Amino acid sequence: MTVKLENFFNAESFCVVGASTTPNKPGNVVAYNFVHSFPGKTYLVNPKGGELFENKLYHSVLDIEDKIDAACIIVPARFAPSALQECGKKGIKNIIVTTGGFSEIGEEGEKLQQQMFDIMKEYEINVIGPNCLGLYSPALGYDTMFLPASKLKRPSNGPVSIFTQSGAFGAAFIDQLSRLGSGRWVSKFISYGNASDINETDSLEYVGNDVDTKMILIYLEDFKNGREFMKKAREISLRKPIMGIKANRTETGAKAGASHTAALSANDVIVDDLLNDAGIIRVITWDQLEDCVLAFGTQPLPLGDRVAIVTDGGGAGVMASDMVSDCNLKLAKFSEDVQKKLDETFPSFYATGNPIDITGSATAEDYRIALESVYNDPNVDSVVNICIPVIPDLDIEEYIKISRELAKRKEKPFVTALVGGEEADYATIELLKEDIPAFESPGRAVKALGMLTDYTKYLQKHGVDPRTIQMEDQK
Amino acid sequence: MSEIKEILSTIQSEQRKAVLEHEAKMILKKMGILIPPSTLAQSKEEAIEAAGNFGYPVVMKLMSKEVIHKTDYGAVVINLHSEDAVKSTYDDFMTRFADMDVAGVLVEKMVNKGLELIIGTNTDPTFGPVILFGVGGVMVEAIKDVVFRICPTSQPQALQAIEEIKAKILLDGFRGMPKVDKEQLSKLIVKLSELAWEYKEYIAEMDINPVIANEDGIFPVDARIILK
Repeated sequence: MTVKLENFFNAESFCVVGASTTPNKPGNVVAYNFVHSFPGKTYLVNPKGGELFENKLYHSVLDIEDKIDAACIIVPARFAPSALQECGKKGIKNIIVTTGGFSEIGEEGEKLQQQMFDIMKEYEINVIGPNCLGLYSPALGYDTMFLPASKLKRPSNGPVSIFTQSGAFGAAFIDQLSRLGSGRWVSKFISYGNASDINETDSLEYVGNDVDTKMILIYLEDFKNGREFMKKAREISLRKPIMGIKANRTETGAKAGASHTAALSANDVIVDDLLNDAGIIRVITWDQLEDCVLAFGTQPLPLGDRVAIVTDGGGAGVMASDMVSDCNLKLAKFSEDVQKKLDETFPSFYATGNPIDITGSATAEDYRIALESVYNDPNVDSVVNICIPVIPDLDIEEYIKISRELAKRKEKPFVTALVGGEEADYATIELLKEDIPAFESPGRAVKALGMLTDYTKYLQKHGVDPRTIQMEDQK
Repeated sequence: MSEIKEILSTIQSEQRKAVLEHEAKMILKKMGILIPPSTLAQSKEEAIEAAGNFGYPVVMKLMSKEVIHKTDYGAVVINLHSEDAVKSTYDDFMTRFADMDVAGVLVEKMVNKGLELIIGTNTDPTFGPVILFGVGGVMVEAIKDVVFRICPTSQPQALQAIEEIKAKILLDGFRGMPKVDKEQLSKLIVKLSELAWEYKEYIAEMDINPVIANEDGIFPVDARIILK
């Protein structure tokens, strides 16, 4: 059986119903996107007729003679049912309805959505939405995001697929990814809104099977089909990482029941355990989500939980160590020859245990020796590289070069935390330019490693070698 | 119709939501779950005979649809070591609960002390039947050290759940306590999850609390099932 979403993304002809001639109106933006990027045939419909972007505006979809694989309806909610019906008559089976004003606004909208639902059933149409951004895939030139590119910047092709219940979350995160590092992040983006038909489980199944999707990022507030979702996730998470936010954590407490079990059945407690059981890495904050993209999208999985920390500041090292234990990681015990080398090379006032503290006297060369030694140590599964770049003898360009080279070896995860002001910002930006995971605090860097390691542990518990998971794009 | 279905639909036809303990244990037994030996005695003589057969100490519990929270009514007496104690408890029950519709007195071999665990199921509005495992006993709702899985669950999932409770150290022979047989415990979780799943049209909630784990094995000591 083909997964419903395949028919959307694989469309060879696409119709924009409600193509507007007014610049920056949703119907204008989507028409622009398809006319300029979509490699297949694009048809535009506007009852007024005329022309837009040198393409004919058809009065109705029924006036189009060719077969149409998919369409996007961008008309006010009250006109949406009749637009959908015409598309049904035309034989279009895959339709995105971006318009809002349906079940999310109350009783009246609910009625409209029911009307849509009946038409959908009658003509056997697969629907995404209503009340959503629809689909985006830079590689396929597919973009129903109705916000103009001057406002909502588009990330380019990469390893991450995203699906979201909230369109606003989607818009913000897409925009955010466009300026994260190279901006090369997104494979498929699915915003399914009210989920009148296609929901979180369909989306998961599609991106789970999609060969271009190396990691899956989700934003959910509730489940339409929770049992099936968990079942599919359990299977897919053994092949590619799934991570994301399940918001609405305080939605419902446990209802008082006759049993202890009912009293303990708070909705989020159950969700948390089931996500965990299904191998989905739960992210709580927005920052963590971006950090996930950086870590999973650029670094290999660690083979264990032993972390090495290199720092030029004691406090930052101690805080990183605390976070290591908060994230159920361990500080690595260096192998004998690595320890010997560190002891022999560094002056006695450097701390050569773990964390290695090369102090305010650190030079870029000290960083190179410390970082390369622990990176090459088989007793180390991942490396945290902390720098407070205010110290006088540190050549920041050299430091950036060393950090970049190690992060690009991709034999084990390597994360950098740059703490401070202008100099730290500069180095962070330089590293991020090449998609090197660099964070503004030791805690965020270690947490990113913690999430990578959680996934490794999950795989290992299920008998999967983490080396079989190829996440990062070969960029 | 399966025997379990028969028991459940009979209770339902009596407009009862609460399955009595002896009925719940009958259902567990029919699921192939090992429960402590027990008899529903209808007379003092039957109670004495059962106690003699099981060996002392025994526990006696009054079974009545009018007594749902048994401990609140003083309808559970534990640690009975002699025939005399069984007799006087039986007489006491008959005096105190004379006006009630009594189904019988459950005489049960007392399970030795051990680690008190809970296994329960509930019907979640999103995920349907879910199963809970955790630290049991009377303080379960205060301690809240529990893990959920979807029903039916598999043995690897159940084993994983067992490892996820915060107090898992208690299971591995903590301070001279016996080591808990996790294999057997996980099988019990799986069976109860299957019970909740197969009879989801009937069962709303279930508490097996405590499940006592001791050197002799793992025993469901109290069982409560609430129907839809």
